[in-house]
Amino acid sequence: MTILHTKAISKRYGGLQALSEVNMTVNAGEFLAVIGPNGAGKSTLLNVLTGLTMPTEGKIWLDGKDVTRWATHARIRSGLGRTFQHGRLFERLSAVENVMTGAAVRKGRSEKELQEFAMSILHRMGLSGVARHQISSMSYGQRRMVELCRTLACEPRVLLLDEPAAGLNSGEVELLMERLTALRAEHQLAVVLIEHNMGMVMRLAERIVVLNFGCMIAEGTPAEVQTNPAVLAAYLGEGYSHADV
Amino acid sequence: MADFIQLSINGLALGSVYALAAIGFVIVYSATGVVNFASGQFVMLGTFAGVAMLINGGLPWPVGYVGALAAMALFGALFFLVVYLPLRSSPVVTIIIGTVAVGIALQNAAQLTFGSWPFRLQSPFEGMTIEIAGAVITVHAVAVVVGTGILIGLLWLLLHRTTIGIGMRAVAQDVKAARLMGLRVNGLLAFSWVLAALLAGIAGLMLGPMWFADVNMGDPIALKAFAATIIGGFGSLPGAIAGGLFVGLTEVLGASYLSSAYKDLIAFGAMIAFLLVRPQGIFGERIQDRG
Repeated sequence: MTILHTKAISKRYGGLQALSEVNMTVNAGEFLAVIGPNGAGKSTLLNVLTGLTMPTEGKIWLDGKDVTRWATHARIRSGLGRTFQHGRLFERLSAVENVMTGAAVRKGRSEKELQEFAMSILHRMGLSGVARHQISSMSYGQRRMVELCRTLACEPRVLLLDEPAAGLNSGEVELLMERLTALRAEHQLAVVLIEHNMGMVMRLAERIVVLNFGCMIAEGTPAEVQTNPAVLAAYLGEGYSHADV
Repeated sequence: MADFIQLSINGLALGSVYALAAIGFVIVYSATGVVNFASGQFVMLGTFAGVAMLINGGLPWPVGYVGALAAMALFGALFFLVVYLPLRSSPVVTIIIGTVAVGIALQNAAQLTFGSWPFRLQSPFEGMTIEIAGAVITVHAVAVVVGTGILIGLLWLLLHRTTIGIGMRAVAQDVKAARLMGLRVNGLLAFSWVLAALLAGIAGLMLGPMWFADVNMGDPIALKAFAATIIGGFGSLPGAIAGGLFVGLTEVLGASYLSSAYKDLIAFGAMIAFLLVRPQGIFGERIQDRG
């Protein structure tokens, strides 16, 4: 079942075509990766999906509803959740307060229930020991995990992750992959992953969408994408073929 | 000694009013990045809301105070809708100029409505005094200090123990990330303006019986609140409290022990000294730390 769907989404900044007629579907519970070279339009796509940037043309549907002109908070309340490429935690709030900002999306919970809910997410992600710590006193890896907890607190059905492994060491990346796999299984989450770590992408993704210069140049399973000539050309240049790699 | 105690409590009472004005100033600045140059006129409006309810309307003080504060809350919401929201996408300096314009308009509107003759707003504790170590102190001054302490406590609880408060602090730090947490940023910004107007209203009602209610009272209050935020640390709530109390105390003690002619010189001299020696103020962080 399709949960998120875009039709001919384009975004232009003056003379720069950041996205060009991108048609993308995300199915419920699916793990989809969006890859592409730097400047391909991956983060712009997430910005458009979450309403931080309005598309120049095209439509976006979430759960069958046209959300193209919806405000960001309305999309989040309808089931989208997103992390940033460069973590944007509230530095002068503690970890649990950060997570509570996400938990506040759901109405009808008392302050105490919100705090307990936030604590339970931090606990599940192995962060209960630093729940009361200010963000500024945490390690980079802990901050990335708190950001993920904060987004999970919004109880999304589609989780948009913008380079969650950037800056993490191999142990932390391994831990992140384990947590993501467990979360997805537990909550039937659809995950859209933007990532340059190809090991992570190939291990987690069921389907991959490839962007280059704002255009969708390929879509398929990891095995299909790995052998797609257009993808190889985008990453390695026109002179390469699959045999060279 | 009795004189010193009496003057200190009066100084703390005046400082409490400055602290409340400064807190309103800081709340708006933290949430929106706007320095509200109409903050003094907000306090003046609070005093005159009291004049309208208690003197012109003849209402009993509990009803009059609630009515005045409700009017101030409405004013805060209107200010957000009519001044801040339309200018929100403009450069911040445009919004600041907007607050200057509103301040002037409020002062002139008050003059047209109430005239230039000052009013004497009575305290609910009018004529009541207590004696502490030989010092005779008005109950109003004590009530102002205690009331401000309670308000600051409630404000701390609001900001640290409620989701609205945590949301306000989140919006103050990163609007984009706050939107992505599903927070209603406009609602929280509106609440910041309402809260600032309410605090100004309370400050105005407290100040009415201590000063005369005068349509020109806004500018000196704004300047003192501004000095308080500089001394305490720009953008810091504990700083606004400490700075407000410091300015109130130095003003009253300086006026009594040196000369009333020097009271402003002392307050603003302290502000200039802080800018030279410790520009981040008592509690503020250095500007480069915020980058």
